[in-house]
Amino acid sequence: MSAEDLYHEALVRLARAARGAGRLEGAAGAATLDNPLCGDRASFQVRLAGDRIEALAHQVRGCVLCEASASFLGGAAPGWTGAEVEAARGALEALLAGGGPAVVGPFGGLSVFAPVRAAPSRHGCVLLPFDALRAALAEAKG
Amino acid sequence: MKRETLAALRADLAAKRAAVLATDLRTGEARLLHPFEEAPGAHTALLGAAREAARDDQSRLWEGPGGRVFLRVYNPPVRLVIVGAVHIAQSLAPMARLAGLDVLVVDPRRSFATEERFQGVTLTHEWPDEALARIGLDRRSAVVTMTHDPKIDDPALATALRSDAFYVGALGSKKTQAARRERLQQQGLDQAALARIHGPVGLPIGAVSTAEIAVSILAQVISGLRGGSAAR
Repeated sequence: MSAEDLYHEALVRLARAARGAGRLEGAAGAATLDNPLCGDRASFQVRLAGDRIEALAHQVRGCVLCEASASFLGGAAPGWTGAEVEAARGALEALLAGGGPAVVGPFGGLSVFAPVRAAPSRHGCVLLPFDALRAALAEAKG
Repeated sequence: MKRETLAALRADLAAKRAAVLATDLRTGEARLLHPFEEAPGAHTALLGAAREAARDDQSRLWEGPGGRVFLRVYNPPVRLVIVGAVHIAQSLAPMARLAGLDVLVVDPRRSFATEERFQGVTLTHEWPDEALARIGLDRRSAVVTMTHDPKIDDPALATALRSDAFYVGALGSKKTQAARRERLQQQGLDQAALARIHGPVGLPIGAVSTAEIAVSILAQVISGLRGGSAAR
């Protein structure tokens, strides 16, 4: 698998869009996680309305995969509940593991990460923003 | 030395600003000069001599038109920032410290930049551009990148090339360097800036082992600092 296959156009475009990039004032929860092996770092802040994500923002230092994953969440996750974040993460894991059902419905956008399946060492790059969001939500819920 | 001169000197040292204390040996009057800054109306000959002394990092007696002046150099410490807590860095960091440099190893990859691998060396897990912005690079700073990962090396080089750092080096083959130059050019760095990168890094001494490569890099840094004939 070449770098061109991994960093295909739609994925690069998603990363460049950097949806949700920035800082959130008055966040109810915040978390920063990093990958000690590659140095990627994802910080997420969330604000809740009831049990739903009202707004989120993130700052990512990392590879294109990590940036694209954070951008996906920046676009898709506002409005989600914690359970939906978990469901999306589960769908992503199944996609990366292969053999799972095709991603459809609200998480259909995740299919942009399908080529990462062939690069096991890079799975962490895509999951890191999900884990940071999950940690920020846990903090927001106290 | 007057109290206010001493206070100003202390402030310069704290701010890592190069200063030269010029003492007129006839009158005993001491003046604080900033050799690398524009000083309208200053004695240009004296300032020139102070600049030379600071550049040589050597205090000296100077025969001026008004008599003998002692130029005492107060340079900020020479700093070497190593980006990438890699194998070569494990040799380069202690060697550079023995040579009198103030060494900082930057690597956001915590599994590389560990206390165990770099005993007694100052480490930071910041991203290099963040770390370099925080510490502030000046004309007595050297930066060498070693991660082989563009996402970490490139921001370090871009920051270093936009600073007054006297030495910028990048580990990597000729082929790697060409691709790197292209990426940095896309980030708006011009040819003059890119020409400052020493890469492939180190003096051509036929180094083979990681420790030998560290020697070749350290020698090149020192040559850059002292204006040695191997500076380029």
